[in-house]
Amino acid sequence: MPPKPDKFKIHSKAVVCQDVDLKGDITIGAGTIVHPKVIIYAMIGPIVIGTNCVIEEGAVLVNRRKEIMRIGDDNIFEIGCRVECPSVGYCNTVSTKARIHHTVRLTNFCVIGAGCMVVPSEDEVLEEYTVMYGKSTTRRVWTGEGKIQEMDLRRKHVEYLSEMLPKFNRLRRTEIH
Amino acid sequence: MLNRMHDEGHNTTAVVISWTLCLRSLCTRQKQAKSREFVKKERSGLRQMACSVLFHCPCLNPPTDPPPPPSQASSSTSNHPLHTLFFCEECDAIRCDRCVSVEVSAYHCPNCLFEVPSASVRAEKNRCTNTLSVVPSDPPGLTWDTQSSSISLGAINEPPFLLFCNFCRWDSSELGIKFDKPTGLAAQLQRHEDSAPEMLEFERLKEHFATYLRAQQSSSATSQQSQPHHRSHHTSLTVATAAASSALARDIPGVSKHRRKDKDRGAGIDKEELPIYKSRIESASLGTLGLGADEEDVEFLKKLDTENGIEDVARLEQRWTGSWQGSIHSRDLRPLRMPLHSKKSKRCPVCRHILIKPEQKTQSVRYKIKLVAANYLPSIVPLFPSLTPQGLTAAQKKALSTKGSTMSVDEGIDHPLVSMHAGRTYPFQLAFTNPLYDPIHVKLSVQRQSLPSTSSSGTTDSGSTKKVPPNFAINLPTSSFPISAYAEAWEYEDEDEEEMLLDDEALAIGGSGISSSNNTGSRKGKGGSSSANIGVIERKANVTVVGGEVVVGKEGRGDVKFNMMVSYTYRSDEPSQTTSIKGEGKTRTAASEMKTFSFWVVVHLGGIIVRDREKDRDRERGSEENPREG
Repeated sequence: MPPKPDKFKIHSKAVVCQDVDLKGDITIGAGTIVHPKVIIYAMIGPIVIGTNCVIEEGAVLVNRRKEIMRIGDDNIFEIGCRVECPSVGYCNTVSTKARIHHTVRLTNFCVIGAGCMVVPSEDEVLEEYTVMYGKSTTRRVWTGEGKIQEMDLRRKHVEYLSEMLPKFNRLRRTEIH
Repeated sequence: MLNRMHDEGHNTTAVVISWTLCLRSLCTRQKQAKSREFVKKERSGLRQMACSVLFHCPCLNPPTDPPPPPSQASSSTSNHPLHTLFFCEECDAIRCDRCVSVEVSAYHCPNCLFEVPSASVRAEKNRCTNTLSVVPSDPPGLTWDTQSSSISLGAINEPPFLLFCNFCRWDSSELGIKFDKPTGLAAQLQRHEDSAPEMLEFERLKEHFATYLRAQQSSSATSQQSQPHHRSHHTSLTVATAAASSALARDIPGVSKHRRKDKDRGAGIDKEELPIYKSRIESASLGTLGLGADEEDVEFLKKLDTENGIEDVARLEQRWTGSWQGSIHSRDLRPLRMPLHSKKSKRCPVCRHILIKPEQKTQSVRYKIKLVAANYLPSIVPLFPSLTPQGLTAAQKKALSTKGSTMSVDEGIDHPLVSMHAGRTYPFQLAFTNPLYDPIHVKLSVQRQSLPSTSSSGTTDSGSTKKVPPNFAINLPTSSFPISAYAEAWEYEDEDEEEMLLDDEALAIGGSGISSSNNTGSRKGKGGSSSANIGVIERKANVTVVGGEVVVGKEGRGDVKFNMMVSYTYRSDEPSQTTSIKGEGKTRTAASEMKTFSFWVVVHLGGIIVRDREKDRDRERGSEENPREG
């Protein structure tokens, strides 16, 4: 099956570095920061990324399904993570080198800890405030304490990056949304 | 813990606890694999052990006594590898971990690395004021600094504050612990700690015994006036110290009781008159704590079978650091303040000289004073050059490999897993390394082995006949051989390569040495020995390799282990020392003199493969057996 033709819709306020490897039908919302060396492959279906997300170096977002892969707002995908899930809500954190299978759907406020592999054998929807952590990927539910501070922190993170990244990296200029 | 359970007759709980213990600690694949390996080794029947030389520490016995024969199991406790031994300069003696006296030098928290002065250690109950150690849901060993996060909307630094873990996002609101300010958590946690069951129990016990102890105290105070020389430091003011001193004064069976002169014992309460102590927790109510065997526990057990039900049981690692038997539910785990670690210093038991003293700074791993035996005693390494893979015949290699031996090529030279066949002779080598800055002369003497049924057979030739053959015989050079001084590596580059013609052994390798004049005595090695294997084989820098032979008796069995006394003479360190030639023997220059130090070592060369009678008969029928190994 021939790969889909590249079609990028990157918001003018989004900060996408030039070194990013994009393929397929990708939409990136306002305020999202995409660090260099990110791989976003919308191999079969399109990928839509929301606003104010941070996608750090080495992250891989792949969509192997026909349906749209929707990623919500205020997410952070840390270094080296690999995300294939068809839908991601808002305010999630996917930590360094975590791997998420395409059978999982993340809702909101989930935290996937560093190095965790979330690979259930059947389709699963992670509830809100789920935290996966540890070598054996135990899970528990977060009470939600401290989420305000965290959102605050994330906002500041995005602001800082959108200021600093363009100073040191070349940005990809594409068609305006 | 298990004993208590059995005593109370609560068998179900014992089963629960032992079952959870089994689940956690026994059923790991690693442990199974290890035990399988161990069993395989034992069953192979091949005694394969790395050959080693252990140093004997007399441990305050008179040092001239020879150590017990190494074939006895009791001797293993006093033999140590060189790197674990200390050396006291004042007493001129080896000290080991078992005979040194240890004292604490400093306390610190392992997480925040704050050094805690000893005075406040007791006040803080040996725990850190800043750091907490156990987050109930985290894997063991994960520590985290306290973080406070406000739960009020919008504002960051307002009360109430919580404990928060970044790893799993656990927070203490689940346990109901909230703080009013972000600092000084220890004090705020104190409230929770004090209400722990063990603290309340201890308080009750103290109250119960308080009257008795105060009476003891007052009676001993009156006796103190009449006998001022008694208990000179008896200043117990608190109930706790009174308890300690009365415990010290209790009756010891077998020791005659020191009768106190005063007959006035009526002032205090006799021990038998104390009312029976009633524990704070009634046995019947133990069920709520998870200690009884009633309905709750059965329900709990049933739930464990469900998926993720085992998560409700607190892991062993989370529970065993507590000093009291707590509930096994994971919901009952509490964050604990981090217990402090201590840095210890070691002293010689006889002269109180400090042997090991670490630096005060917590982060530094170095030592201010480090009197280790390796800096004073020559290290001895056994080698078996003839049993390295290159030296083995094809048949031998095959035999060893089928029996499951592992001899890596790299290790083969230094620490081979050696097994010797009965009835053969093996040459071996001992490499002596001199740590001192002066050359030394070393003399070896192998202890006569005392076999249970025979008269002692010592360092005799293998040819002599005996009524009952010994397990093995050792031939080693008996004259003293020198070892050059230790010098920095850069010193050797400037030295001219002196040709040192070593002895007639084919393995002779020329090397450069500092004290070249010492060659004459040792170069020829043991000229009178029949075998070329015995004597000084190689001298390189500060290492001397000495060869010997072990003749394994035909009926030999067991391990080849023998005691050997090593004595070496050295020049004691004096500032007005002149470099005199060692070969002249004892010399007395201005202020230095030759000193001799001797110590015992246990040389373990490996196991003996027992001769298989039937195989021998078959082989004898077939080809002729070659007894000697090249």
